[in-house]
Amino acid sequence: MKTKFINETDNITSELLEGYVAAYRDKVKLGAENIVVRAQPKCDSKVAIVTLGGSGHEPALSGFVGEGMLDCSVVGDIFAAPGAQRLFQALQMFKRDAGILLVVLNHSGDIMSANMATQLAERAGIKVKKLITHDDISAGLDAPDDDRRGLAGCIPLYKIVGAAAEEGKSLDEIYEIGERFNRQVATLAVAMRSCTHPQNGAVISSLAEGEIEIGMGQHGEGGGGRQMLVSADDTASQMVALLMKKLSLTSGDKVALYINGVGATTHMELNIVFRKTAQILQDAGIEIMDSRIGEMLTVQEQAGFQMILAKVDADHIGYLKNSMSDAPYWTVIGKK
Amino acid sequence: MENLTIQDFKKMLSAALEQVKQREDEFSKLDAVIGDGDHGTAIVQALTSVVEAAEKGSEFKTMLNDIGFNVMLQTSGSTSTLIGALFLGMSDAAQGDSLTVSQVKEMFKGGLANVQKQTKAQVGDKTMMDALVPAVQAMEACDTEDVRQLFGCAAQAALKGAADTVNMKANFGRARNYGERSIGYTDSGASSWACMFESFANVL
Repeated sequence: MKTKFINETDNITSELLEGYVAAYRDKVKLGAENIVVRAQPKCDSKVAIVTLGGSGHEPALSGFVGEGMLDCSVVGDIFAAPGAQRLFQALQMFKRDAGILLVVLNHSGDIMSANMATQLAERAGIKVKKLITHDDISAGLDAPDDDRRGLAGCIPLYKIVGAAAEEGKSLDEIYEIGERFNRQVATLAVAMRSCTHPQNGAVISSLAEGEIEIGMGQHGEGGGGRQMLVSADDTASQMVALLMKKLSLTSGDKVALYINGVGATTHMELNIVFRKTAQILQDAGIEIMDSRIGEMLTVQEQAGFQMILAKVDADHIGYLKNSMSDAPYWTVIGKK
Repeated sequence: MENLTIQDFKKMLSAALEQVKQREDEFSKLDAVIGDGDHGTAIVQALTSVVEAAEKGSEFKTMLNDIGFNVMLQTSGSTSTLIGALFLGMSDAAQGDSLTVSQVKEMFKGGLANVQKQTKAQVGDKTMMDALVPAVQAMEACDTEDVRQLFGCAAQAALKGAADTVNMKANFGRARNYGERSIGYTDSGASSWACMFESFANVL
């Protein structure tokens, strides 16, 4: 049964990208097939920020290409990593003395393409450094980085490294600033109701009516415990408690908090979840320095959200709040 | 046979592709036990682009580098990453159009070192490393001036390494989730890599 407004399933990725760059043509364009770049490129004395990932998660990841954030997003097919060939092509396009920071979400396909493309890039004289994100905590609070997936925590990271690059920081400096944030960001996802793969119609995961799963991955793959649906307040409390524990937050700490709807959960619900989460943080004496509610990285029509909590320092706060960004899905006016 | 020439090496690669093609189904079936069942296809695709890139080669360093690039740019997946890494590493450690026994040893040592940068899998984890690592170590230990004998040592060690994976529990990648259920089957990657080394030895 057809449940989506699509045309030929083979054309989904190219058609969605064509629509996106047409809508925001003063900000983004297609640099090549499945490679989204800024409409006005940054001067090449500055480090370029490149990322990669499958489509089907809109507005991620191409929604964050723009002045102050990403220079380039390399897009794979639905839920699939782009091949090393396309990524290598993008790295060649952004070759510069200042270097390229390649932000890779920890998913095996993305990691593999990134490993291959960077090996080839180094041999082709392209300066590139990989930063791997692994903000998901559903594998356990003590799980090694390799076992932790990259979820929507990459998005504030793009903002931070993007702003640092715009400021003219060196590749090593940007990597250090980004890695410092990377170690201090934790994400937890909750899902209720599954979604279908837009190309083959397969149902991804099977949650019974009224059941939720905390720790669900980006493609609906299970990770944590299942339980019956509880109230927004109870869900938010459970989730923020785990994130606070992971980050060892104490009174006086400063954080950034983002609630990312994954597709079928309304902004009404996201607001209610944010309310309780913020209350708990404030009661614990923790100050929220930057926050946002919205659909940033979605999983088709899956219901649920990702809660992204990061302990931030002065550098991160400055890059998140005071530096401008005109990326279509993360606009910040900033301060002069 | 004192030297390994470019022509010998191309013959070895073509022989490996032929053998792997003949056993493609076997490798895929082994992979289906604890993986997604596409290893036969993956290794044939990878070796096809290896052989294709090798055809134009006239010097080891450049040819091995071109092979590495071709594998990685034409195909995707973990098999291609590792085969590509092997050839790029070999390229770093080889030059000229004819290699002595000790130069061949160096070349494979360089290849293994680069593969080890790409995977954390160790001997005993039930992966292709169970064939590759013993093969390169056996070459290193092989006291001979004869290239044919050198690859004989490597093939023997790789075949034994692959056979040993039957009793191993998968300890790496997706297969790890199968735990005890992975025991009793040879690892598909170890088998295909052993098959390559066996073909190298047999064609010389």
